[in-house]
Amino acid sequence: MTLLAVAFFLPLFPLSIVLNGAFVPLRSPRARAVLLVLWPQCGVILLQMLPHPVPHAFVPWALLTSGFYALRLLTVRDMGMWAGFLATSALALTWVLAAGSADPQALHLFTLWFSLPAALLALLAQPLTKRFGAAYAGLQDGLIGSLPRLSVVLAVTVLAAIATPPFPGFFALLHLLRMLEPGGAIGVLLIWLTWGWAATRLLQGFVFGRGRGTTAGDIGHAPMLSWSGALGVFVVAGFMLTGGGL
Amino acid sequence: MSLALGRRLGVRTLVHVAGEAIPFFWPMRTFIHHNPLYGLEHLPFEQAVAEGERLFHARGYLPRKVQQGYLAEGKVDPGVLADEVAHFLAGRPDIAGLDQQRLLMTLLTEPGVSIGPRPTLADAYDVHAALSGARLPSRETDATVLAAQVRADMPPGRPPYAIVDRLFGTGIGATLNELVIKSCLDFFDEGQSVWQMPGREQGLFAAWSAVAQRNLRLFIRGLHIKRILAVDATPEGIISHVMEALGVPEEDWKGHFTCELTRLHGWAGFIRWRAGAKHYHWARHYPADLVDYLAIRLVLGLALLREHAQRKGLPHTLAELDRFVEAHPGQAYLRHEFHGGHILPDSAHAVEDALASGRAGRIDRLLPVYLARKREHEARAQAAGLQNLAERAGLADAMRRLAPEALTTLAGTLAEFETAEGHMWLRALESCAMGRLMHGMNLAPAVQRAKRPFAQLMFCIDVRSERIRRHLEKVGDYQTFGIAGFFGVPVSFIGLEKGSETHLCPVVASPKNVVLELAIARSADEQAFVSSLEQVFHELKASVLSPFITVEAVGLLFGLDMFGKSLAPLAYSRWRQRLHPDRPDSRLLLDKLSREQADSIIRSLQRALIVKAVVRELNVEREAITDDMIRELRETALGNREGPTDFARRFVLDARAETAFIGCLRTVYRIDRGYAQLQMERLGRIGFTLDEQLNFVGTALRSIGLTEGFSRFVLLVGHGSTSENNPYESALDCGACGGNHGIVNARVLAQIANKPTVREGLRAQGIAIPDDTWFVPAFHNTTTDEIQLHDMALLPPSHLVYVDRLGNGLQSATRLSAAERIPTLEPGGSVDPARAYRHALRNASDWSQVRPEWGLSRNFGFVIGRRHLTEQMDLEGRVFLQSYDYRADSRGRLLENILAGPLVVGQWINMEHYFSTVDNAHYGSGSKVYHNVAGRFGVMTGNLSDLRTGLPAQTVLKDGRPYHEPMRLLTFIEAPFALARRAIEAVVPVKNLVYNGWVRMAIVDPETGTFHLFDDGGWRQHASWPGRPTEEIKEIAA
Repeated sequence: MTLLAVAFFLPLFPLSIVLNGAFVPLRSPRARAVLLVLWPQCGVILLQMLPHPVPHAFVPWALLTSGFYALRLLTVRDMGMWAGFLATSALALTWVLAAGSADPQALHLFTLWFSLPAALLALLAQPLTKRFGAAYAGLQDGLIGSLPRLSVVLAVTVLAAIATPPFPGFFALLHLLRMLEPGGAIGVLLIWLTWGWAATRLLQGFVFGRGRGTTAGDIGHAPMLSWSGALGVFVVAGFMLTGGGL
Repeated sequence: MSLALGRRLGVRTLVHVAGEAIPFFWPMRTFIHHNPLYGLEHLPFEQAVAEGERLFHARGYLPRKVQQGYLAEGKVDPGVLADEVAHFLAGRPDIAGLDQQRLLMTLLTEPGVSIGPRPTLADAYDVHAALSGARLPSRETDATVLAAQVRADMPPGRPPYAIVDRLFGTGIGATLNELVIKSCLDFFDEGQSVWQMPGREQGLFAAWSAVAQRNLRLFIRGLHIKRILAVDATPEGIISHVMEALGVPEEDWKGHFTCELTRLHGWAGFIRWRAGAKHYHWARHYPADLVDYLAIRLVLGLALLREHAQRKGLPHTLAELDRFVEAHPGQAYLRHEFHGGHILPDSAHAVEDALASGRAGRIDRLLPVYLARKREHEARAQAAGLQNLAERAGLADAMRRLAPEALTTLAGTLAEFETAEGHMWLRALESCAMGRLMHGMNLAPAVQRAKRPFAQLMFCIDVRSERIRRHLEKVGDYQTFGIAGFFGVPVSFIGLEKGSETHLCPVVASPKNVVLELAIARSADEQAFVSSLEQVFHELKASVLSPFITVEAVGLLFGLDMFGKSLAPLAYSRWRQRLHPDRPDSRLLLDKLSREQADSIIRSLQRALIVKAVVRELNVEREAITDDMIRELRETALGNREGPTDFARRFVLDARAETAFIGCLRTVYRIDRGYAQLQMERLGRIGFTLDEQLNFVGTALRSIGLTEGFSRFVLLVGHGSTSENNPYESALDCGACGGNHGIVNARVLAQIANKPTVREGLRAQGIAIPDDTWFVPAFHNTTTDEIQLHDMALLPPSHLVYVDRLGNGLQSATRLSAAERIPTLEPGGSVDPARAYRHALRNASDWSQVRPEWGLSRNFGFVIGRRHLTEQMDLEGRVFLQSYDYRADSRGRLLENILAGPLVVGQWINMEHYFSTVDNAHYGSGSKVYHNVAGRFGVMTGNLSDLRTGLPAQTVLKDGRPYHEPMRLLTFIEAPFALARRAIEAVVPVKNLVYNGWVRMAIVDPETGTFHLFDDGGWRQHASWPGRPTEEIKEIAA
């Protein structure tokens, strides 16, 4: 029963519908961000209450869930939903780590490395919605020309979310790959590749392209610096806590 | 099946007519400034701009925000703007209680005021309700309205794939462009690719269809090109077949073709130019025209459309699309909203999901919700915009009191006004600039010089000459003139060791005479080492396999080159120049050859070729054969004699070997009678007759009013630019020389003008040039402002003592000009002349410099008159200055020549800058940073795009805002009104430009002291210039 409860929080399909069902109706980006950060931590806490180790049968289930949501990312253009699906896809991989008897701290950090950038992405939907009515890829492309600061922040956050180096997700995934059999590792690599593809499509829909001559103003220098600082701290924390790059 | 000849000709004609609106695109090597709307010049300016917007989806005027900036800076006359608004409102219905003039002026001039896009669903009743804060009246939107909105985006002539893209988001148009560009790159390549497309000699369509039928990638994508191509072997037949397959009615074919051709107007413009460029080497060898190009587009378009239709079950003919809209107006509307980019952002996800589900029930449930939201959104946005506008105008109460009927009227007026406002701003901007120029002109009679000046300099009319002319006139006793940079001598030039002709004259003229450059003394060995090394490097880089090992083997050398160019561009470029031997001194062959001379030249060429053939083909050294043997071989090859030759006897060649060698001389070395005749004809084009030479010099001098008071030095200053890593280098060269350096024309005219026989002839015409006057060709480098004297070896010894003074004067002007220019290129750039000059030199050799100079940016005026008119003014390098003295032109012929040549070129330059500024993405070529050279003749953005026409952003924009102030060419002629008007009327293209508003024309009559301005379709006389001085305008704006 506890295992099933954990599957709500560290989402496994079809129980993952609960997370996304709770996430999508939330209109406030802050609420979405909080949900994305706290929800998986609850899952890890519950996981520690399990009287027995996580059965290995959960690994393929987790990989299938992750793959399914990775593919779903390719068709989603709403940035808030995109962040939610990416988080779902990534958090499902926590089960692989759990099945490998990782310690609780490693599990907490693993979920944090993926939920935090996804939460930041959900927050970034706010300035876009404020300017264009929705954070929807393709409606306002070419933002790099008109809103360069917001575009840079968006691009870097997306890169952090899909676990590119030097962000902690990258090192966490490398660690995960080492724990897997070759078949599972190839599966994770394909999922990773799909995230990259989806991220490219998302960025194409916002950052690149000809643009539609928006008159909206860019974010200020202060928010830009705060955001960069947050991502910098995130990177450094990753170096310190994952051991990556050190 | 093959189309009947008459029908084929019909299709061909239709395609050519459809392509007339597309401007020519010349290869980048000789960038020609041109009007992007040249094909629409038969229309009035405003109409042409509107048509350009429709055809090229490009903006024709600057946005309001930029114009408001000009207004704040005093560059726009608010009085003229108010007059324009009043003129617009005249004849339009009044709205009781609302001061429309005030409202429209507020809309124009108040920053941050906008009424937003015109509503598509909300009507005046909805806006009225929104204005009064009430709920919107309840009503349902009829399906026919929705279908009509969708159909409005399906006008006749629109390609079906574009409609499918708009309704189903298929992206066929983008894929089609990509495939067409790849095909064009393959075919039109001019040596950039190592492996060339096969069969190019057969023409574009034939070569492409042969390759496309075997293209596995197209087959794998499901594009069944072969089936379509099997229908007809001719491009015309294919075009006809595709149009029928798509169900396009024949009366819409022309519109359809135009639409297809303008999709990639850069490529279409290049093909259009190339098809007519008979002298162009690549066009002669690999022919192509718009019919070929269109056939390829249509074949690929149909194949893509069929593939999508088959895979996704989409309608793909016009009839099917029409039935789809008829049967599913709601769905079609939502699709159009979503894929057309009109969707309400917060509904985008719901609409996309519903459309993706394909369930009619879900779409039907969503539609009324969406329509209601959209109507509400539009009404509220429109009301907010109107309310804001009215409040800023102090008319808020009046606006609230308006009845729905009045709101309807107001909405119509506002919509028309927003369409027309660009032209109002333009006129107000121009009026201000004209006033500025006129108020600064010196209209007093010219003061006669007491003595002749130290030197006289004839510069190109190019706006960049103005700065250096002004400085020269200040630093010493120099008199300057402005003349078209080809000095009135149209030349087809064959340079040293060049095999092809370069046309050095405006593209509106075609030179008949060839000028040949001959080296005085040259050593092939000197040149050999560095050139061979460069050749080897180039081939190593360009071939298919060698780059793999080249990087390992000699990569370091390229690294050194890179560091040198990046870290110390100036020093490194000087060092590299030293590696190259100096260019040998040369002379130009200018005089016509007599028949004997031509015959002698051909004989000597043939003899040289025979020697080469003997060495190459038979391995016999030169010293082993005699001149008689060569003559005999030549005579035999030409068919003047028969029988065995001494040569054959001496080297024991049997009859067969001898016949084979003679055949080789005829076929490989072209020693035959027919070719000799051709060579004679070509030689006949070399040089000018004495009459022609007299005419060139006489006309050039008379046209600028220089018929007496000649100085010791008369410098003919051609111009050009130097920059590194700049595909647009030619755009900075002389437009009057066909986008080339102007030095050759200067050398030609100087060499002619220094001939005693020519001087004698001129004296008979009343132009007495003193014996001590020497014409010196010079080159003005507009990037560095250097003026370099040429052919100094010919200078008479008596002049040598003055050269130092001349050089000092030129150098001072160079530095002063650089000091004025450099701060405009880089804020905070040095104003110290020596440092600024060094900076300019660095710009010319820095390969990372995207803006080596501003070129002709900010040009706005063209003054045809004597120098004293503008001598006291600082024109900031913005005005074309054509010297002209009406007193030497009683019949107006010289003025007609100026109007037909220099003015037209000036107008092209002006319009190129205008349109590249108002919409750099469409009429210009975007940022240079992303440019890549395509096929050695053009540039593309990224790795695959339309050929970028127009000017790059770095030439006309600064920090993303216009640096060039886009105005039509403001032309002033200093001449009696009747004479000037007669000349304008006599040159029909110029008359059309003036009457259609492409050029703003004013005549300054020095004899009556009156001004005549062509405006609103007629000449208006003013006793004084109607515009206000700038200071006054600034006060009003403040």
